Amino acid sequence: MAKSKEELLQQLSDCVFEMEDENVADAANEYIDAGYEALDGVLKGLVDGMNRAGQMYEEEEYFVTDLLVCSDAMYNGLEVLKPHLPLDQDADAVNYKCVIGVVEGDTHDIGKNLVRIMLETAGFEVYDLGRDVPLISFVEKAKEVDAQLICLSTLMTTTMPGMKEVVEMLEKEELKDKVKVMIGGGPISQAYCDQINADGYAVNAIGAVTLAKELVGMA
Amino acid sequence: MHEQDQMTPNERLQAFIKGEKMDRILAMPILVSISHRVAGITHREKRASAELQAQSQIDCYKRYGNDLMIIEYGLHGVGTALGSEMNDPEDSLPAIVNHVLQDLKDIDQLDFDKTKKENDPWFAKTLEACEICQEKMGQEIPTGVLITGPFTAVSSIYPTENLLRATRKDPASIHRLLRLCTDALKDIYKEYIQRGIIIVMCDPIASGTLLRKSQYIEFVKPYATELMNHIHELGGMCCYHICGNTTKIVMDMVDTGPDMLSIDNLVDLEYVKGQVGKRLPILGNVPPVDVLMLGSRSDIFESVKTCILKGKDSPKGYIIASGCDITQNVPVENIDYMMEAVRKYGRYPIDEALLNDPATNN
Repeated sequence: MAKSKEELLQQLSDCVFEMEDENVADAANEYIDAGYEALDGVLKGLVDGMNRAGQMYEEEEYFVTDLLVCSDAMYNGLEVLKPHLPLDQDADAVNYKCVIGVVEGDTHDIGKNLVRIMLETAGFEVYDLGRDVPLISFVEKAKEVDAQLICLSTLMTTTMPGMKEVVEMLEKEELKDKVKVMIGGGPISQAYCDQINADGYAVNAIGAVTLAKELVGMA
Repeated sequence: MHEQDQMTPNERLQAFIKGEKMDRILAMPILVSISHRVAGITHREKRASAELQAQSQIDCYKRYGNDLMIIEYGLHGVGTALGSEMNDPEDSLPAIVNHVLQDLKDIDQLDFDKTKKENDPWFAKTLEACEICQEKMGQEIPTGVLITGPFTAVSSIYPTENLLRATRKDPASIHRLLRLCTDALKDIYKEYIQRGIIIVMCDPIASGTLLRKSQYIEFVKPYATELMNHIHELGGMCCYHICGNTTKIVMDMVDTGPDMLSIDNLVDLEYVKGQVGKRLPILGNVPPVDVLMLGSRSDIFESVKTCILKGKDSPKGYIIASGCDITQNVPVENIDYMMEAVRKYGRYPIDEALLNDPATNN
């Protein structure tokens, strides 16, 4: 007997949640072949699985490695489903855009990558500038794509002042109210966030999503 | 010897080990990444010269009277010897920009002979720096080396994110790399131990912030244990530090057999004392960023006081330290404050009334 849509969605979600990054493409093909909407497959299948993984991370049942492999599975599934997504976007839909990167001088990017993954999972349109990013690039990219949010990451204390510089650049261009700045990374704290007048600090990737939604007013 | 102390660091450490009387509590702030600032040179100048590496540590000791000088072999040494490429910032700690191993199929192409002192100029330079420290100051203060543990050594060869994935997808290859790194580290540690240097083994990538406990037990613990045994066979001494939150692996870390355990400020000193205080001395854990970098003099006094309150009755002894390496962005006078607070609250016999009085932070 053919599997129901719910069963197939569950299967997609489970592939991500259970880190079956090699089986997820088959599950996604099975879902598409059965004739169901690709968008549901993404949101109620893959993204659901990633959200469950995020929940487990918050409960300290999953660790960084688990989230990485879960996200590999999610992206493998997305590759199959993406060509089947409807092309015409809902004209009224608000696209929440975010620019993210590791500040200049620092190359540690695992934390940034996790935040990017979880923001994409939450529905943000994410522009990832990578690591060791020149500070001006954050502001320029945010202006170019009309982003509401800049996320800055660093693991080193030597590069922390770069975060302050980005905030100051936005202030100088009078963009501070329009573009929110969120910061994170090993040495960063709420105290530092307050000190440099950034808009928010999150302790991990899950907290970052909650904060990002709050900052841009995402329902 | 510092003018406000009555014992040299060597005398203090010997008294600590024998359980004899000391003038004050031992203090080993990890003054590695800040040391060129204290010496008034750039990071690049320091790392280019064995003399300046040694001098930076000597300058720290002369100013602060801390109880351990630390030369930096660092976290990336094995990788760079094998061919990982580093950047070369003028005044900051270098980072890896290109790992030598991109595909686990190429493990056989790695030539670990390159990590030997004859073939690795960085390693040779740090050994020379240790010799200078011993020659100039060895009568007075011990010298340690901040050096990678096995898991972080692998991350200097193969990109960390892929390393983490591979613990699930290809554990056999990761065990092979760990085997090779552990063997290389044995030879590297030996050179330091022969020079009378204390091994400060740091394995930040094995942090509980990145790895789950079962991964620590499978991928780190056996190799760390082997290295500890090796250190002891050679008559050496090891202080074990893992960054981040190690609350769940603290027992396993101590099972590997270090002589001292250094904990990050993300871990509660009181908890660690309860768990492992009967087994070995504990070092920790004044927060290097929130307190030492961003805090006021009064914040630093408060933090030192809290640490001493929590640690002072640890059964095998307590050494006040920073929760992690102190970076160059920490104002150098803040370490003066830290040591001033240590001399105030950590003077023996401990003045309980002073320690428990909330209004003594100045």
